[in-house]
Order: sequence, then C-alpha cells, then structure tokens
Amino acid sequence: MSIILRTRQLTKRYGAKTVVHDVNMTIGTGDIYGFLGQNGAGKTTTLRMIMGLIRPSAGEIELFGHARHGDKRKTMERIGAIIEYPGFYLNLNAADNLEIHRRLMGMGNKESIDDALATVGLLDAKNQAVKNYSLGMKQRLGIARALLHHPELLLLDEPTNGLDPGGIKEMRQLFLKLARKRGITVLISSHLLSEVEQLANKIGIIHKGQLLEEIDCETLQKKTRHYLNLKVTDEKKAAYILEHMLGTTDYVAAGPGVLRLYEHLEQPDQVSSLLASNGVGVKEMALSGDSLEDYFLKLTGGEGFG
Amino acid sequence: MASVFLAEIMKLKHTKMHWLVLLGILPANLVTLFAFMPKIAPDGTPAGIDLQDMFYRQGMTLTILAPFMFALMTGYIISREYQERTINQLFSYPIPRVRILFAKLAAVFLLIAITSALSCVSVTAAGLIMSFNQQIDFAVVWSGIRMNLLACLLSFGTIPVAAALSMVGKSVIPSTVLGVLATIVTLIGEMGHGMDGVLFPWLMPYWPVRDLAQGLAQSGPNPYAASGAAILAITFVVSLLFCIVYYEKAEIHSGS
Repeated sequence: MSIILRTRQLTKRYGAKTVVHDVNMTIGTGDIYGFLGQNGAGKTTTLRMIMGLIRPSAGEIELFGHARHGDKRKTMERIGAIIEYPGFYLNLNAADNLEIHRRLMGMGNKESIDDALATVGLLDAKNQAVKNYSLGMKQRLGIARALLHHPELLLLDEPTNGLDPGGIKEMRQLFLKLARKRGITVLISSHLLSEVEQLANKIGIIHKGQLLEEIDCETLQKKTRHYLNLKVTDEKKAAYILEHMLGTTDYVAAGPGVLRLYEHLEQPDQVSSLLASNGVGVKEMALSGDSLEDYFLKLTGGEGFG
Repeated sequence: MASVFLAEIMKLKHTKMHWLVLLGILPANLVTLFAFMPKIAPDGTPAGIDLQDMFYRQGMTLTILAPFMFALMTGYIISREYQERTINQLFSYPIPRVRILFAKLAAVFLLIAITSALSCVSVTAAGLIMSFNQQIDFAVVWSGIRMNLLACLLSFGTIPVAAALSMVGKSVIPSTVLGVLATIVTLIGEMGHGMDGVLFPWLMPYWPVRDLAQGLAQSGPNPYAASGAAILAITFVVSLLFCIVYYEKAEIHSGS
C-alpha cells in the first residue's frame, strides 16, 4: 500500500503557543483515517496546513509522494475537502455553486454536477437557493462539491456536524462506499469517538496539538479486548485444559502463573470449576480490559471526547 | 484567467449588485434631463439642447457618486468570501491567488464600465433625437465619450485601496466608510470647480469632466493633471501591490 499523505514533525506556532506539535501522520491509499481529538486539539489547524491555507511553522507535508510546496495545481486537483464549514454563495442555487467549483477546478464535464448531487441525495433540491438549505443539506452539498472533481483523497473536517442521526448514518454509508467502491482515501476529523469507531480502519489521536497515537483498528481492537484474567497455580497445565477440554486457543500467557482468556467471558464459573476439578488452583479470576473510550481516556490523561 | 473571471461574474447572480448599478446610473440620467428644461439664449431666442452640458452634468453626477458606489462594489466582491466563509474553498483551488485577485478586480472594472456606459443613456437618447432635426457636433459627442472612458479608467485607480481595506477588515464596512468619506471630499471638490482638486486621487476622474464645463473662471488645460495622474498611479500601484502580497501571504484561520 502506497502512502498518499505523510506529515513529518508538522508544527504550527502562534507566538509562544504551539497549537500543533511535531505531528507525524501517515495515511495509505484506500485508508479511512479517523482523526480524533477534542475540540481545539489541533485537528482543523492540521487540515488547514495540509490544504495550504496556513503555513506550517516547521515540518513537512508530503502528498501523493511529493512535497506540499510542489506543483500546487496537480496536487490540489487530486484532493477534495471540507474544512471546518462548507461555505457557499448563498444567493446561488446548488447547481450554480457546483458550476463555479467546476470552472475553478478546470473541469470540462458539466454532467458530473448532477452525478455529485445525486450521490448525496440533493438532485431534487439543485435549483433551490443555498440560503434556504438546512445545515445538514449544506454539509451534503459540501461533500458533493468535494467529490465533483473525482478526488483521490477526501479531507473532511467534522463532516457530520449538523446532521440528524439518520443523516449521519447515510453519510457513514456514503464514506464507506466511496472508500470501498471508488478507492478514495478518506481522512475524517471528528471529536466523536463513536463516529470514528464505526468508519475508520486507522485512527490518529490528537490531543493538545500532539498526535498521541496512530493505530490501526485491528491493533486497537486487540488492545481493548476484554478477557478473563486468570491467576493459576500451574499455567502450563491450565493452558492444556483450556485447549483440550474447553476447546479454545484464544488465550495468552501474560506472565508467570497468569493467563488471559478471551473467550467464555460469560461463563467464568464453568472455567474455574473445570480448572479446579483438573487439579489447577485458581487464585484469582477477574474480567479485565478497556473499552475504546477507557483506552482513549488513559491516553489523553483522563480528558474525555466530545 | 477567463474561467476565474466568469466564475466571479457568476457569483454576482441574484445579488443586489444591480441595485447598486442602478443607484449609479439613475441620478446621472435624471440630472442630464435638466438639459431639456426650457432655456433662453443671451439674444433672447430659445436655446436648443446643449449636448456638452448634458455630458458635463452626467459626468459630474457619476464622479461624485463613484467613490462610494465603486468602493461598495469592491468591498462586497472581496469581503463576501470571508463573510460567507467561502474563502477556505477559494484558496484551496489549484489557481494562484493573484489570479483570483485579478479576476475580482476585473469584475469590479466591468461593473464600473457598465455603470459608466448606462449613466449616459439619456445623453445618447437626446443626441439621437437631436440628430433628426439638427446638425450634431460630433466633436462634442466624441469629447463626451472620451470623458466617460477616461473617468471610468481613472475611477478604477482607487479600487485597489478599497480592495485592500476589505480584505484586511474582512468586511464591507471599511471600504464603505472610505467610499463615503471620498464621496464627501469629491462633492466638495467638484462644487468648488478648482483645478487642484485632481491631486486627491478620488477626484482625478473629475479632470476630464471639468474639461467639458462651460463658463468657469479658470479654463484651459489643467496644470495639475500630470501631478494628479502621478499620485493616482502611485496610489494604484502601491495599493495593488499590498493586495497581491496580502492575498499571497494570508493565512486562513477559523475566524477568517
């Protein structure tokens, strides 16, 4: 998998205040990258730097294998974005707003406007002035505009702001479809853990300007899996019993006399009596493991999301 | 460049810009119609319609209103990108920012040209009517056209100042305040009919208008025209350079 976006020691300072500090972000082609952080954590500033709206104080941005300050035209033609709020010319209708975008992107195909509007379910409202749109409709129109020029990378800053639960679900399905069917790489920033959790295959956690962790969802799931923590008198014998009598290999040895069993979490009494009846003493047994939220809380020093 | 310019024109669709243009053309056309009031020549005979006087009245009205109207048009075109928060998107396009700036200024120039052209509809109509029953002095017609072309061009000289204020203030208010103040000074200057008024950049468009005036104490070529033109040129270049540098260097933050 090739790298589509990489930042190295990306930093933004305003006077003595550092709002983004040494962010090293790596996004591969086809990723849905969840950029998770509280409000004011530095997500939008990072996205603005990627889009060239503000200059980094230090560090590098590499897009499509080239430095950000390279050929702007070629780079920007491959990116679709909504940064913070989808701004539109409110006096114009949706089709006219997209027509302006089409012209400024130097695209020839006018039919793509209807296609983009249909993708976000706004085709019927295309002749309605944008000033009469709800915030949710504007968000959808923002996504249509971001998709109009068939980008390879989609940067979406809090794209579900203002959407109702039904709208959020629809957008989630759309992003998944875009990533899976069109192969578009998507970077979604959000302060909502649940939103990122359901979409992303990779998560970057930013807190107070620092990227605390960049982790793929598989690893994250392993880290946050619940398990039965067993302290036993003989771990080798216990392991034999678990494999041959309980029929599971989903356990790990986590130190002398300690096993972590990831299955049969609902039947701890059966596990302990099986071990005891086969001559293995169970000194301690407890259900352990973090939820995703607990994991993030630990990472951010107890400061929650959203 | 053409597509960026056309996009700028498209952005004006369904805005109140046509009211602003109308505000510029109506007074000029109405004042021009004063030429149709019955007049008596010094020898006691009824005087005909004086085309030169019509052009003079039209030019004066237009150049008095111009600083306010054109500053307001510029302010709107520049600042709406910040007000409607389209600036994020605008500066993300694969287009040099300076080209976007030039397209915006070109849109303002087009509006100035339309306002100037439509402000002389009455004079043109009067000239056409006159041509049916009397000899038209084409030298007068040409001097009127020349005056309008020059006034239009010279009015554009101060536009980058309004643009600079709008982009720094991110609002239409600073350029409107500038326009109001400039219009007040222009009004006072034009009422005084002084030749040195053209040293004030916003009064420079009055220079070709004044040339059409009849019966003023001071007449002939304006000795301050070259200095006034130089001041206007410096104003234009300096403010335009400021706009270019500001647009190129501007960082777009959340509050922008």
